[in-house]
Amino acid sequence: MARTPRSSYKTRLALTPYLLLAPAFLVLIFVIALPLVFSLYTSFTGYRLVRPDSLWNWVGLRNYERIFTDWDFWVAFGRTILFLAIALNLEFIFGLGIALLINRITWGQRTLRTIMMFPMMFSPILVGYQFKFIFNDNIGVLNNALQSLGISDAATPWLVDRNLAMFSIIFAEVWMSTSVFAILLLAGLFAMPRDPIEAAKVDGCSPLQVFRHITLPFLMPFAFIAMTIRSLDVARAYDIVDVMTGGGPAGRTELLWTLIARVGYDNSRMGQANAMAYVSIILSVAFTYYFFTKLVAARRYMGGAA
Amino acid sequence: MSEIRLNNVVKRYGRVEVVHGINLEIAHNEFVVLVGPSGCGKSTTLRMIAGLEDISDGEIHIGDALVNDLPPRKRNISMVFQNYALYPHMSVRENLGFGLKIAKQPDAVVAERVDEAASILGLSELMDRTPAELSGGQRQRVAMGRAIVRHPEAFLFDEPLSNLDAKLRVQMRTEIKKLHSKVKTTVVYVTHDQVEAMTLADRIVVMKDGHIEQVGTPMEVFNHPLNTFVASFIGSPPMNLIPARIEDGKVVFGDKTGVPLPNRLSEFVSDGQEVIFGIRPDDMTPEGHGISDSGQSATLELTVDLAELLGTETLLYTHLGGQEALGKMFDPRHVQENETLKFRLSLDKAHLFDAGTGKSVRPD
Amino acid sequence: MNASLRKRLVAIATWIATFLLMMIICLPGLWVVLTGFRPNREVLSKPAIWIPEQFNLNNFAKIFGFGAEQVAIPVPAYFTNSLVIALTSTAIALIIGMSGGYAFARFRFPFKNSIFLGLMLSRTVPGIALSLPVFMIWSRLGLIDTKMGMIIVYTALNIPFTIWLIDGFFRQVPKEMSEAAQVDGCTRWQAFWRVEFPLAKSGIASAGIFAFLTSWNEYALASQLTRSTDSKTLPVGLMDFTAQFTIDWAGMSAMAVIIIIPALILTFLVQKHLIAGLTFGGVKG
Repeated sequence: MARTPRSSYKTRLALTPYLLLAPAFLVLIFVIALPLVFSLYTSFTGYRLVRPDSLWNWVGLRNYERIFTDWDFWVAFGRTILFLAIALNLEFIFGLGIALLINRITWGQRTLRTIMMFPMMFSPILVGYQFKFIFNDNIGVLNNALQSLGISDAATPWLVDRNLAMFSIIFAEVWMSTSVFAILLLAGLFAMPRDPIEAAKVDGCSPLQVFRHITLPFLMPFAFIAMTIRSLDVARAYDIVDVMTGGGPAGRTELLWTLIARVGYDNSRMGQANAMAYVSIILSVAFTYYFFTKLVAARRYMGGAA
Repeated sequence: MSEIRLNNVVKRYGRVEVVHGINLEIAHNEFVVLVGPSGCGKSTTLRMIAGLEDISDGEIHIGDALVNDLPPRKRNISMVFQNYALYPHMSVRENLGFGLKIAKQPDAVVAERVDEAASILGLSELMDRTPAELSGGQRQRVAMGRAIVRHPEAFLFDEPLSNLDAKLRVQMRTEIKKLHSKVKTTVVYVTHDQVEAMTLADRIVVMKDGHIEQVGTPMEVFNHPLNTFVASFIGSPPMNLIPARIEDGKVVFGDKTGVPLPNRLSEFVSDGQEVIFGIRPDDMTPEGHGISDSGQSATLELTVDLAELLGTETLLYTHLGGQEALGKMFDPRHVQENETLKFRLSLDKAHLFDAGTGKSVRPD
Repeated sequence: MNASLRKRLVAIATWIATFLLMMIICLPGLWVVLTGFRPNREVLSKPAIWIPEQFNLNNFAKIFGFGAEQVAIPVPAYFTNSLVIALTSTAIALIIGMSGGYAFARFRFPFKNSIFLGLMLSRTVPGIALSLPVFMIWSRLGLIDTKMGMIIVYTALNIPFTIWLIDGFFRQVPKEMSEAAQVDGCTRWQAFWRVEFPLAKSGIASAGIFAFLTSWNEYALASQLTRSTDSKTLPVGLMDFTAQFTIDWAGMSAMAVIIIIPALILTFLVQKHLIAGLTFGGVKG
């Protein structure tokens, strides 16, 4: 007799989390999932912005064939991977160094930590602008300083030379994002229990061995959180490149993301741009997924001790 | 009337069943303690009574109402949590009055009841502090105060003392007992500590693996454990359990030593039956160092491996029937290692369990 | 070398390293801020003028349309757009994120971990890659160059991370709090608002600030989806300066200062909670 109300009460309980998540899903489906389905479709068409009817022009895999045989695409792709590999590794190393440094300091630690967070909260476009200004060959503060100090008389073309331009962009990227690592690794150092370190010292480990076998493994989950957070928005580098060099000069700093913008908006070849966009999405998702699984594994290994 | 009735109550998480059809009737104003090792389903059962876990099958009644589908707030119960769950952003006074305020009681009533609870529990000095400013024992009292202000039909306690240190635990135990005699209400109390169960309960419910093993008054559970689990769980140090066999009216152990068959149990066993012989350390004492015993007893020469001094008594680690066993020496004297003593085993207080089922041979 | 001398050397080295580090972090921003208060003439001069001769608010007056000099860039409109878009999308993302974060923190349900991962992965889609289809769809819906269009996009952008952070903050509130409140007579809704929300609110506020800054700082999507003063935001507006024939470094720096200030203030306010939220959400799974 009491069957009906009881099962409805239970159903309501079981449905609650889904109801709570429904608004989030609706928005994400409307703004992210559906557009991505649409762009997947357009990547199989010869859609050009200037010719709306070309949206129905099914071309199969031609866009993909074209980009995969396009040397410029592969160069941009390779440069993007290289850029990420260098930037993320530098950020990790510098971040670890900074965390260890600040962990040693006993006075003003909180202030230092707060200051460290600022670059992370800057708009990437600002970071790009700031370094565009600093690295400017004519009026940039860097060249001015070098000249005033008499180190160099020449106007070093920081943003024009192939290698220097890439260096400048990586510098800006590392400047902006190192603090993500520094802050999370510092949080890890704060959370670190003293006992294992002391036990290792008593067991005769040298400071280096303690770091290698105790501290570093403990910090890895924190490093993976930082990696996961970073991989969520690696494409922020687009903003930096766009303002600093615009992918130029002559495509020398072209990354996958600036190439997409050029092909899609400047050349208005939406179909092809969407095909490239899919490559960039898969790249980002793969990065995030990789670090997320690392994080889960590290967490399990730690047994939640952190 | 606020009796609580559990009728075939089952809890499943997905396909895993953790409580297997529990039947229990708790009388009006009765203090019932659910006790068992961790994972035995006692907390889950309590949370089903509270309405914090839904009931997969069966029925729970509080008073006259079937509460299966009632949310916690409509069950007219109150609960003390293991970590107290005091609201950190409210003062002691606000913590105590929160439930009444939610029930839209007039301010005067709230103030009166809060003051009443505060004076019962000696909290009057602390009313404007926040939980963070209280000691463990004080937090515990606030948690209890929050439970009593609402004059509920039943109090539920979920391991309320396990976060306190040993000394405070004993003190709070007596306070809970006093509180119950002052504020007569039905109490369901969950603990893993058999001492708490023995000292507090009107009736003890011993649970294991989602089943009820035995229900009874503390003395019934202590003196007549229905099976080896209850026998070993209730009482500290635990009862010695020695595998044995009934041969010619004797209880014969694995090493062929033995004791006479206890008279009061002889009719329940048959020759050749495999049994487990149970005897508490208190009933296995060196001659002259036990409680005087006029009933049926047996004496055995046993070698003491280790003696542990506790002051008023000494624990003697020895072997009985090839198994490790523990005896007690009251009014103790110095005992040497490997000293052989003549132990008297009080057979009137010995137990026999069927080796196959683990159940007491005496159908109580 | 004796031990105390060595200790002192290490301490000195630590201080020097820290000093250098702070220089590298602070100087670029400070230089831009400084430039914002100097006239273009001084910025462009050769050889460089290191000690400012003039130091005033003229650049700010200029970009906001006061004073003698004028610029063709409608900074006040961009500022208003940025504020309206960032505030509205943050408010919506917070409401949705609280609801979703609570679901993850308090309920067990099938596929929970996969759903969480899915949410996070939706955040990884590069802005520029997402802008292509959104551009095409928005132009059909008439949402291009509208504040509404930007608000919708930024809300979606902020939801995953807001959920991550708020999930962590709710999990720091013991589940027993809600249970105790329910036993005390609250509905689940009352228990949430009277007990769980007050305890998590500072964390939720910092999630909100984080979302605000994400919207405030975003460029890739805004640069494609906005066209005019109707919806252009400050970061997009900053690029207006570079489109001109000669770059107005001083004006651009003044505008940069306007973008930086909220970031500085808000970062200062949230830093503690943000660190706690990130580590807790991540490590405790």
